[in-house]
Amino acid sequence: MPQASIIVPAYNAAGTIGVTLRSLCAQTHADFEIVVVDDGATDRTAAVVRGIGDRRIRLVQQPNRGLAGARNSGIAAARGEFIGFCDADDLWRPAKLARHVEHLTAAPEVGLSYSGSELIDEVGRPLGLAQKPRLSGVTAAHLFRRNPVGNGSAPVMRRAALDAIAWRPAGESLRDWWFDESFRQSEDVECWLRLMLTTDWEVAGIPGLLTRYRIAGGGLSAGTARQYESWERMVAKLTPVAPAFFARNTPAARAYQLRYLARRAVSAGDGRRALALSARAMAASRRPLAEEPVKTLATLAASAVVAVTGGLPRFAQATHRPKGA
Amino acid sequence: MTFQIRTPAARLPRIAHLVDDTTPGGVSRYLAFIAADTGMAALGTHRIVPVPRSRPASVSVEADIIVSHLTITWRGLPGLMALRARHAGTPLIHVEHSYCEGFVAANVRARRRFLTLLRAGYALFDRVAAVSAEQAGWMDRHGLVAPGVLSVVPPSVDFAPFRAVDAAADPARTFALIGRLDRQKGFDVAIAAFRAVEGPDLRLKIFGEGPEGAALRALAAGDARITFEGHAPAPNAAYAAADVVLMPSRWEPFGLVAREALVAGRRLVVSATDGLRGPLGPGATRVAGLSVGQWSEAIAGLAQSHSVATSDTDTDTGGGAGAEPEVATRDGWAVLLAGLWQSAPVPSDMLPVDVLPA
Repeated sequence: MPQASIIVPAYNAAGTIGVTLRSLCAQTHADFEIVVVDDGATDRTAAVVRGIGDRRIRLVQQPNRGLAGARNSGIAAARGEFIGFCDADDLWRPAKLARHVEHLTAAPEVGLSYSGSELIDEVGRPLGLAQKPRLSGVTAAHLFRRNPVGNGSAPVMRRAALDAIAWRPAGESLRDWWFDESFRQSEDVECWLRLMLTTDWEVAGIPGLLTRYRIAGGGLSAGTARQYESWERMVAKLTPVAPAFFARNTPAARAYQLRYLARRAVSAGDGRRALALSARAMAASRRPLAEEPVKTLATLAASAVVAVTGGLPRFAQATHRPKGA
Repeated sequence: MTFQIRTPAARLPRIAHLVDDTTPGGVSRYLAFIAADTGMAALGTHRIVPVPRSRPASVSVEADIIVSHLTITWRGLPGLMALRARHAGTPLIHVEHSYCEGFVAANVRARRRFLTLLRAGYALFDRVAAVSAEQAGWMDRHGLVAPGVLSVVPPSVDFAPFRAVDAAADPARTFALIGRLDRQKGFDVAIAAFRAVEGPDLRLKIFGEGPEGAALRALAAGDARITFEGHAPAPNAAYAAADVVLMPSRWEPFGLVAREALVAGRRLVVSATDGLRGPLGPGATRVAGLSVGQWSEAIAGLAQSHSVATSDTDTDTGGGAGAEPEVATRDGWAVLLAGLWQSAPVPSDMLPVDVLPA
């Protein structure tokens, strides 16, 4: 039985999954398996996976269920005590798994271990940008407002923590759900937040930019409306679990979420939408302005600049289109 | 050469149950069961001793075994240390009625500090009794108790009145929420969910009082199908008045209402938290989350369709684990006391180090 499993959800990822899998096969940690979930891909994804020829790779194929559904099938198939996730276009630094296994072994109260990420472009070049989140003392409020876990290729979880939040919805006969498959976006933060609100597993990070997170180019700002909708749906879903928590934290978290979407609209060159989102963020709460004045004001300024000129220099395009969107 | 040995067979142990909360509720009714049940009487002579929460050692106790039903708090810790010191040679048992994983998730921000409190508190006792296997698993996961100290003893009450309750209607017409009107119980979720289910002949009856009363009444306002019944005149009356019992609890170390409902032959819908995660029996449905939509669906389902007949429906309508809950309680105490009463007569200066106060 492998000690760790790395789950790679893959949908039409033939172009990138080869590099992803090579980075996983190069992990310095000795004892692991890779579970690739081919989520109904219509391209050569499965052929590329088989072509790698590494016996630690297992391929699970299913009709398309979406990112959450692919991750869930991966968890159901995984045999490891520790379960990591890596999307089919991201890369892991060679020491990543070893560092997380070390962390989880030394800190038995931690259910989810994550690290920062370096952002790379479509051909794998560093963008000179990084996600460097808070690593310790993470509360549900931190997770809700700023999501320090960052992206879906950052966490390595303990199987026991995942099983604490598993459920079998009506009409599901194959296996449990860990991620909520009714979400097409916000499914990871919904999962982490549910973990923190309903169990006492801790969420903690380790230093280093151990994930190389790929930024898809040409984001459409139209997607921001859908993403905001699913974020609000997550809030509505989880509010009954902890009404007082959400009453306290939702305004600030909503402002951060709107600011993030405004930055994405800036990246997409949609200044009018960016300005509108920025204004809504400010209306929701002034907390981002008080807590992160530079970034908040920069977002406002960039929204205004793009609204007027229709573009920003590339160095300022720090946000990105989430993959799987 | 002769030894004078006090054998356990010579007499039953005198067991003092310390309690700081004498308001009517689950713990009080459990203690009433312990004091009155013939099966429990075969294990020892039980006496219920009310004590002040922060100074349990201030009450004089003559007993062979002392059981604390007190809630562990930082403020109460010195009192427990005094209790341990005053009864250094007497086995001490703690029954954990309050804390569980869901409690921590919902209430505790300084989690490590809180777990430190529990470790310090539990270390004063020779045995710690969890009220459910799930609670015990949580204690074990966090290393809250030393190996060999933890056991599981599910509580009971006098279930006879619940067995006497008439059969429920099927499909269900009347739903009940039974318990303290407290944030813990999640009644707000059930009220919102019930309001979303159509059916002029459906009823939601809410039994109990508590700090959330006003907020819950406001939530229910405008839906005449929902009524607040106050405290039921007798424990079984609430069950007799309902077809289905809803338990959308946010945390629940054990879940006495669930057992009462099943013994009364009521169908039961519970949240998947703590002590409600374990096997309950065929009358129970578990809803994974606390979303209003999920609970509406569960309520609508029970209001529309007849309960699914399973192969063993005719033999066990009350439901496997729910049929004879007293047996598990007596067995749990028997195992727990057997280990202690045999070792109890050993003079205190010969006690192994690990049962002395830290």
